[in-house]
Amino acid sequence: MSDILTVRNARKSYGAVKALRGADLSVAAGEVHALCGDNGAGKSTLIKLVSGVERPDEGDIHVRGEKVRLANPHDALAAGIATIHQDLGLAPRMMIYQNIFMGSELERRVLGIKVLDRAAMIARSQDFLISLNSVMRDMTAKVENLSGGQRQAVAICRALRWKAEIIIMDEPTAALGVRETEEVMKLIRRLKENGVTVILISHNMHDVVAVADRVTILRGGRTETSLSTDGLTSQALSERIMGGA
Amino acid sequence: MRDFIAKYGTALAGLLVFVFLLVFARNFASSANLLNVLKQTSFLAILATGFTFALLTSELDLSFANLASLAAVVTGGLIAGGTFWALAVVAGLAVATLGGLVNGFLVTGVKVPSLIATLGTAAIANGLTFMITGGVAFVGRWDPMFLALARGELFGIPVLVVVMAAVVLIAWFVTRKTRLGTHMLATGEAQEAAHRAGIATRRMKLIGLTLSGFAAGIAAVLLVANLSSASPQMAGDYLLNGIAAVLLGMTMFEPGRPNIAGTFVGALIISMLANGLVLLGAPYYLQDIMLGVIVIASVSVSASVLKKAAFSV
Ligand SMILES: Nc1ncnc2c1ncn2[C@@H]1O[C@H](COP(=O)(O)OP(=O)(O)OP(=O)(O)O)[C@@H](O)[C@H]1O
Ligand SMILES: [Mg+2]
Repeated sequence: MSDILTVRNARKSYGAVKALRGADLSVAAGEVHALCGDNGAGKSTLIKLVSGVERPDEGDIHVRGEKVRLANPHDALAAGIATIHQDLGLAPRMMIYQNIFMGSELERRVLGIKVLDRAAMIARSQDFLISLNSVMRDMTAKVENLSGGQRQAVAICRALRWKAEIIIMDEPTAALGVRETEEVMKLIRRLKENGVTVILISHNMHDVVAVADRVTILRGGRTETSLSTDGLTSQALSERIMGGA
Repeated sequence: MRDFIAKYGTALAGLLVFVFLLVFARNFASSANLLNVLKQTSFLAILATGFTFALLTSELDLSFANLASLAAVVTGGLIAGGTFWALAVVAGLAVATLGGLVNGFLVTGVKVPSLIATLGTAAIANGLTFMITGGVAFVGRWDPMFLALARGELFGIPVLVVVMAAVVLIAWFVTRKTRLGTHMLATGEAQEAAHRAGIATRRMKLIGLTLSGFAAGIAAVLLVANLSSASPQMAGDYLLNGIAAVLLGMTMFEPGRPNIAGTFVGALIISMLANGLVLLGAPYYLQDIMLGVIVIASVSVSASVLKKAAFSV
């Protein structure tokens, strides 16, 4: 399989703190790739480099085999990489379709004047959600009235609206209960079925083993190992992360 | 049902007050008086529409009334000094718009909270009106064309009412039907999320505050034309009235959110109450008390946006 995203020998320091001291990451197209590691291992920092939030001190990032410079989040989006932060970046009191199309609203011309194309945005929002097998009927419902799993689906739809091919999710289930976590796992599987590459940061070993194809483990700012989840138990994964085995 | 009350309760209450005044306030129902109420509403509704734009992006503008006074004395002063009235009107509009732009730069560029920044520009504008006028009003026999801006009629409808309708309709269209309006709304609702979604949030705030200034300019020109005089602080009373209209409006149609339709109905209710209180023979000070009650009651019903605007830095 070809790699859609590779990071080689990434280094990043914040003053005296060496957050990354030579981290590698290879993500194959279409896989669900988990990023694990203890607190402070450098997961979020690595993701910041890939999503254009921070620049590496050293190291290269390749997308689809081509070296890229991601100077800002916009560059990352242009390269097809969308990041869903833990707070999801939604406006709770705005409607579902308004959130999905936030910043890239659809318009049509009426008498030469550009006006919002509400009907088209509603229809396409519905399509995006259906592609995720997510059942929400009213696209004009406010996001604040949705469950945690449904909100996650709306955030993913916005990434799809941006035509993202790689979706990075930072701790998507950290604040969710059992049932909602299961919903998010379904969303991730569905994304994979649709050919989207997912990078998942998670502290929950059960989730990782259940949904990911591969895991990259960071420790102390370095890549410890990258392994397939085939036959991997959550217990064994925990031990690898702690550095036991 | 509950939803219905939340959306239309205030408007219905306004309707009840209207009916009450029709029945109990002598002369309220006369067409001359009703037209008068509508004319009074026009200044207020235009100013409040501007404030709505600022508040939509979650910024306060406490300077719009003083900017209107400043624009009024600039326009009046120029006309009194012999300048062609149309130029004077442009100058008035420009001064108020510039004031709004300065507010916008202070808030988005220098990062002064809008509560403080606009309080500052309000004081400066007030000082300038006294500097320009020396404390006395400009009065005179002014070009009838200019006076017609406020006193004339278009197809039998007072120009004032036509201008108000145009301002309110355009503002409603922009906020509800255009990308610009949606971006302003998203900026006010969730600035960080909007920014991450690629919306130029600082520009939206700049536009909101600038539009507030521009609206103050329009109202100022109409006030001067209506009174054919311009004096310092001539729009001063509109600060509390305008804010009350917007806050009252936030209890209607889109509860908790500044919205143009609500602002318009809010302005209508406030002008109607002011007029009705006079006709009922209520003492003059009751009007201020009423405004205070409206402001506090409205905010206690739907406070979120305003709190954010007042306390965001
Ligand atoms: N902006 C920053 N300034 C200073 N130090 C930072 C900054 N961001 C991260 N660090 C440090 O870099 C190291 C790696 O942090 P990072 O957030 O990448 O870890 P993480 O693996 O995401 O941890 P967690 O599981 O707790 O989220 C930590 O020691 C952290 O304190
Ligand atoms: Mg982290």
